[in-house]
Amino acid sequence: MDSRLSQSTQKPFNVVAWWRGSSRYAVSYLLLTLLALVSFAPFLWMVLASFKPLEEVERLNPFPTVWHPENYVKVFKQIPFARYYFNSVFTAAWVTFLQCLTSAMAAYAFARLKWKGRDVVFRLYLATLMIPGVVTMIPNYALMVKLHLLDSYQGLIVPSAFSAFGTFLLRQFMLTLPPSLDEAAAIDGGSPWQIFWDLILPLARPGLITLAIFTFMGNYGSFFWPLVLIKSEHLRTLPIGMLFFDTNYGRQTNLIMAASVMNIIPLIILFVTSQKFLVRGIQLGAVKG
Amino acid sequence: MRVFFLAAFLCLVLLSLLAWRIRPKVTEKGKIPLVWVSDDNPARREQIGLFNRLNLKYNLRLDPSNTGMEKVIVQSLAGVGPDLFDCYDGFQLSAYVKSGIAWDVTDELGKAGVDVAKDLWSAAHPTIMHEGRVYGFPTNVAVNCVWLNKDLFDKRRVPYPKGPMTWEEFIPLAQRMTIRNAQGKVEQFGLFCDWWNWQQFVLQWGGRLYSEDGTRCTLDSPEAIAGVQFLHDLIYKHHVMPSPVEEAAMATQGGWGSGTITFFGGGKGAMALGGRWWLCTLRDYKKLHLGAFECPHGPYRVSRGYGRATLINRNSPRHQHALEFLKYEAGKGYNELINHQADALAPVIRYSYTPLYLHDPEFPEEDYNAVWRDAMKFGVPDQISPFINGQAATRILNKQLDLVKNDQKSAAAALTRAAQEINKEIRKTLEKDPLLRVRYLKLTGGRKP
Amino acid sequence: MKGRAQRTELLSALGFLLPNFLGFVIFTAGPVLFSLGVSFSNWNLQQTIPFQWIGFGNFVELFHDPQFWLYFANTGYLMLGMPVAIAGSLFMAILLSQRLRGIVVYRTLFYLPSFTSGVALMILWKALYNPDFGPINAMINGVTHALHLKATAPQWLLATKNLLGLDVEQVRMVSKQFGLGARDALILMGVWIAIGGNNMLLYLAALTNVPQELHEAASLDGAGKWASFRNVTWPQLAPTTFFIVVMSFIGGLQGGFDQARVMTAGGPAGTTTTLSYYIYTKAFEEFQIGYASAISWILFAMIFVMTLVNWKYGSKELNY
Repeated sequence: MDSRLSQSTQKPFNVVAWWRGSSRYAVSYLLLTLLALVSFAPFLWMVLASFKPLEEVERLNPFPTVWHPENYVKVFKQIPFARYYFNSVFTAAWVTFLQCLTSAMAAYAFARLKWKGRDVVFRLYLATLMIPGVVTMIPNYALMVKLHLLDSYQGLIVPSAFSAFGTFLLRQFMLTLPPSLDEAAAIDGGSPWQIFWDLILPLARPGLITLAIFTFMGNYGSFFWPLVLIKSEHLRTLPIGMLFFDTNYGRQTNLIMAASVMNIIPLIILFVTSQKFLVRGIQLGAVKG
Repeated sequence: MRVFFLAAFLCLVLLSLLAWRIRPKVTEKGKIPLVWVSDDNPARREQIGLFNRLNLKYNLRLDPSNTGMEKVIVQSLAGVGPDLFDCYDGFQLSAYVKSGIAWDVTDELGKAGVDVAKDLWSAAHPTIMHEGRVYGFPTNVAVNCVWLNKDLFDKRRVPYPKGPMTWEEFIPLAQRMTIRNAQGKVEQFGLFCDWWNWQQFVLQWGGRLYSEDGTRCTLDSPEAIAGVQFLHDLIYKHHVMPSPVEEAAMATQGGWGSGTITFFGGGKGAMALGGRWWLCTLRDYKKLHLGAFECPHGPYRVSRGYGRATLINRNSPRHQHALEFLKYEAGKGYNELINHQADALAPVIRYSYTPLYLHDPEFPEEDYNAVWRDAMKFGVPDQISPFINGQAATRILNKQLDLVKNDQKSAAAALTRAAQEINKEIRKTLEKDPLLRVRYLKLTGGRKP
Repeated sequence: MKGRAQRTELLSALGFLLPNFLGFVIFTAGPVLFSLGVSFSNWNLQQTIPFQWIGFGNFVELFHDPQFWLYFANTGYLMLGMPVAIAGSLFMAILLSQRLRGIVVYRTLFYLPSFTSGVALMILWKALYNPDFGPINAMINGVTHALHLKATAPQWLLATKNLLGLDVEQVRMVSKQFGLGARDALILMGVWIAIGGNNMLLYLAALTNVPQELHEAASLDGAGKWASFRNVTWPQLAPTTFFIVVMSFIGGLQGGFDQARVMTAGGPAGTTTTLSYYIYTKAFEEFQIGYASAISWILFAMIFVMTLVNWKYGSKELNY
């Protein structure tokens, strides 16, 4: 873009060329804006509907005639929404912490230590990414029953604390670090444990952040496992709470929308603040997050 | 990095402590905890409160988030089940008994002096009696009548209808009470009726879901088809009831319960087929003036009778204690409370034949209580077959009824298909279950399915 | 000397792997084997039926189960949105790859649906699809009204109709089922969610990796925009496309549970029941654990084949 612009300023002004150049961009901008609108419009409708009184939800005018922010307060009165928030954030935070730790350790073993059969084992490990959740869910449920973890925070956290995807992602990051690093540290007498904590982990921080974001949002929105596992109302996470809110009070579209807005706000904040890491992580991992 | 991970860990531990602190207090000190899985109907809280006041030894608690048969069974087998749970029909009872979690309380109730056969409405029997044994006590019983919104009748200067009447007589009335706006969109419907009442129409036209001995699905009979066809016609021929599309388009200020009750409560329809238990929600609509009359009938003057029962989890270590709740349900305090709350009708017959029932001083406007009681004698419970998994049958039926409801298939085609599929499912069940096969052969005199 | 060093490294590697490995054995490997075993049994939570090993009994029954084939067809139908979504992702990535001002804002807006996807968005779409007051039909009605067309807007989540005219009770096409219905609604939502998501970002990365010289060489040869894309960009994107297709397939095969549970309960008339939702109902509602496990293994087998294809023909750089 810059070279093109500078060229055109040097030459005498050429209307045709200018029109061609900028119209090309105009078309691009037009298309981009149109697509952005399509992708954003449902969110807009959601926000507007959440401020409407119930009668106006049926009306086609997307804007509320009178704004009703108290819809948001009503949600908290009808369901223990704050509790759902807490549960979701709490379990997701634990899972994120544990997953980052176990994944980083395993990734270190795969990326930085040399041992026989390493790559074969890693390939096998990677293969487990392809195991569909439906295959393991019934036995895992039975396992939770046996361990008496049904309907508990532990049951939500522990099975999700280990991840082949996380191991894979962090291994990719660690492979990009120069091998001479740990060799030098080893010569200085550092044990693998020290090298891991003091050298490799700090360097792999961008990878860790990426994984943390992925894991957190994945768990924040996780639906199936809490659905079958949780029985008590006070342990429900947001998606499950939303589901029951929708089935029991589903006709109150305005309140449902208010709850939905509150549900996705943390995600949006997380996304806007951490885009850089995410985009890089996806491109490096090349695995659906 | 170590410091960071350590700090994160400490934060999480603190959060866990917080989570532990804010967990709800399960029991009061020194009391025996009991958990009852039931729906979150506001009436339930009062029923529990009364039990706890009458039985100071116990602390009964409601668990509304695990209703649903599958959850109760799986959790009870896993040892984390409730002490008490609800049973809605014979389908469910047989499933609970078969999976071995329903406790046979025949002798215990006998000792407590309860005569299940004589004291209780017969419509309540299928929810507690399975092959001659008793597995629980009814929470309440209900029969369908028709609710009417008096204000809407007054507005149109139509006199309030009185039962008994036939559906044929009912339709012109419902049509008068159906109001359209200038664009032809219906603004007020004549009737609301939940589709899960479909068996009522089958019964009224003389059909049956299963043959007498339960070995065969007989929904393909002309009677059953005529009944369901009529239900379909209420929407698509007589236009007095909303189609699924029109229903989806209604947003209402909901209280507990959703759909039809809240539509009716919101004044979107003049009449609605339902039970006395609707009052639990309808009383919250302060401006509503209600009436009720016996449900219109077809060739047969019957109505759908149903109810809930409380069963005891046999695997619970406190099942002996849970028995106290069943005794409570048989007593005066509970029965009068049920009638007062209008959570349908009290299970024990005699409490509905009192002046207190007919004229509750707290709700003087409710002058139609006799209607519900007198309709009980027409109540016929839903049918079940021991030879098929209730969920499987429901899945098949729902699919076919969905098609009828959406005007995609004629009642004849849908019910014929449903009967075929259910009978096939019965054959499959028999192949897998040797014990059932023996029973089946005994009933059919050796005729193979 | 070298051998000893390797041995000590092996020991510490074992230490580092241990937590993850334990979790893997307990929550993945163990369950997979367990589920394989169960799929050869009649395990059923109703206790009247004695436990039995029945060999391939479940699988034989499965092949004769018309429901299975119907739900298989549903699963396949819901994957029809894939090509649209992938092509759309590529198109958007190309638009974004031009170095325009404010591209980050656009990228954020495109990525928003996929990032926030979950129960909340499904509930939102349920309202958007409302046949009467939903904004989608309001727009459709507005357009048809303005053009004086006598078309009625689709009933979306309430209709069994679909673009292929698939019948409700048999895997076949009938003309009266032709139209727009619940499955199409789910596809549309799926495309909206996926189009600006990870696939677009992958394409974006791949596009920036296409060497500029290739384009310049092509334009020197007098190739037009399209030819340049066709001959230069597209081949360079092939590994990415392959990877995306395979991953979408894998995702699609096991998908559909959340939508079915939140939006449609598998209906109307079972038309949005996918294999994964069927497994759930069989296992957790009808208690036929053995049968449900068998279905999940059929699903697994299909996914496994896709994975093998990916390994055999996919680019090493991308997935490894």
